[in-house]
Amino acid sequence: MREDQPGTVLIVDDERMVVRSLQSFLGLETPYDVLPFVSPQEALESLETRPTQVVLADFMMPEMDGITFLKKARELQPEATRILLTGYADKENAIRAINEVGLYYYLEKPWDNDHLKLVIRNGVERSSLFNELSSRVEALEKANEELHGFRERLVKAFL
Amino acid sequence: MSAVPAWTLAAVTALALGAAAWAVRFGVRQRRELGKARTQLRAALDELERSRAASAEAYASLQRTQAELVSSARLASLGDLIRGVAHEINTPLGALSSNYDVTRRALERLEIILEDEVVDEDELVEVRKIVAAVEGVQETNAMAVERMVKLVRSLRTFGRPDRSEIDHIDLHEALESALRLLSHETSERVRVVREFGDLPAVECYGDQVNQVFMNLLVNAVHAIRGEGTLTIRTSRNADRAVVEVADTGVGISEENLARVFEPGFTTKGKRVGMGLGLLITRQIIERHGGSISVRSTVGRGTTFTVELPLRLPREAPGEGEETVRAGSAATGRG
Repeated sequence: MREDQPGTVLIVDDERMVVRSLQSFLGLETPYDVLPFVSPQEALESLETRPTQVVLADFMMPEMDGITFLKKARELQPEATRILLTGYADKENAIRAINEVGLYYYLEKPWDNDHLKLVIRNGVERSSLFNELSSRVEALEKANEELHGFRERLVKAFL
Repeated sequence: MSAVPAWTLAAVTALALGAAAWAVRFGVRQRRELGKARTQLRAALDELERSRAASAEAYASLQRTQAELVSSARLASLGDLIRGVAHEINTPLGALSSNYDVTRRALERLEIILEDEVVDEDELVEVRKIVAAVEGVQETNAMAVERMVKLVRSLRTFGRPDRSEIDHIDLHEALESALRLLSHETSERVRVVREFGDLPAVECYGDQVNQVFMNLLVNAVHAIRGEGTLTIRTSRNADRAVVEVADTGVGISEENLARVFEPGFTTKGKRVGMGLGLLITRQIIERHGGSISVRSTVGRGTTFTVELPLRLPREAPGEGEETVRAGSAATGRG
């Protein structure tokens, strides 16, 4: 298995004990930078400036529900992987979110740490691949343009 | 006499005979009719006795049905309670189960580092990471444990039930306990405003008063579709405690307002045990010598006002208590 690549993981849950537990675990077991938030608004402010690979959000938050939050997160960083952490009996909402916000995964509380690690690692990898893909596509388009210009010059030179 | 002609005599005799015969016939008929009437009366009495027995039976069966309905209403609020507890316990449980796992991993790592009894630079960095993780674990453990202690305390307030013992209850504490158990429904969308006045402890059947508050608060929360405010006001009015539960919910129409305390009245659809909450609420309050009233405006919200005497009236509770007992026995607790 290849080494974990670096990445930034944003966590938002109105329950401090949840955020802190996740942070302790990820801090110990993964190489990722963890950005913990109890306020969705502050989490969005972070997303405006800081490139983030994985966004993990709780569903039931008083300030803003998880789906609304992830929708806004998608606008700010579409290539980030979005994961919903759902409590008891929020399953229907989670399923709704899959379509509405392009959800990658939903985890149920209480979560299993090994499973969480796997999902986050895949999420980071997926987001990095997306980034790589879009920079490759960009490079390809640029090369294509150059090629186009080159061909035009060539045609001009011969005519 | 001799002047009386023979035909007259014959006529009179005939008349007398006729009258006598008529009288005899009449008497016989009268007696026959009387007999018939007596028989009819006896039949009617029998019929009455039968129907009295039947209505006594119907009444007993009605009482049984009422007891069953009360019991299912209690089961419905028990269901609400259990859902609340499950939700409340899930967050600290999630934190604790993760923390347990983190501690195990941290220990494993430390053991590996300490195996060769030498700690180098890299390992020191690792040790610092482990310490940070364990610190986080400690902090969240404390929060989770505190949350669970609070939850158990709320449940204990509700756990007294069914022994129907007279308590001296801090109504504010009772309201807070009910609110805590509803927090999974309120936290996201309902703002709770507390306008608590000065209240001494109230002598009452604690479990029943808890049920009253739970019913009123559940109703208020359910009346608020989307976001809204739930205001709880308490005050003292001479020798009575006054509790007002006001919501900014959908409200109740004037025609329905008169019926809210009737059995079977509900706006929540046909579910077993629904539509009895307010009936039971009123029964409990009246058994305590208190009163409940409601005012509402459609689209603006509803306010329930409960008044409870600070001391129980001496003869309470009356026979109605049997119903509650029967109900609680059926829930398998008690």
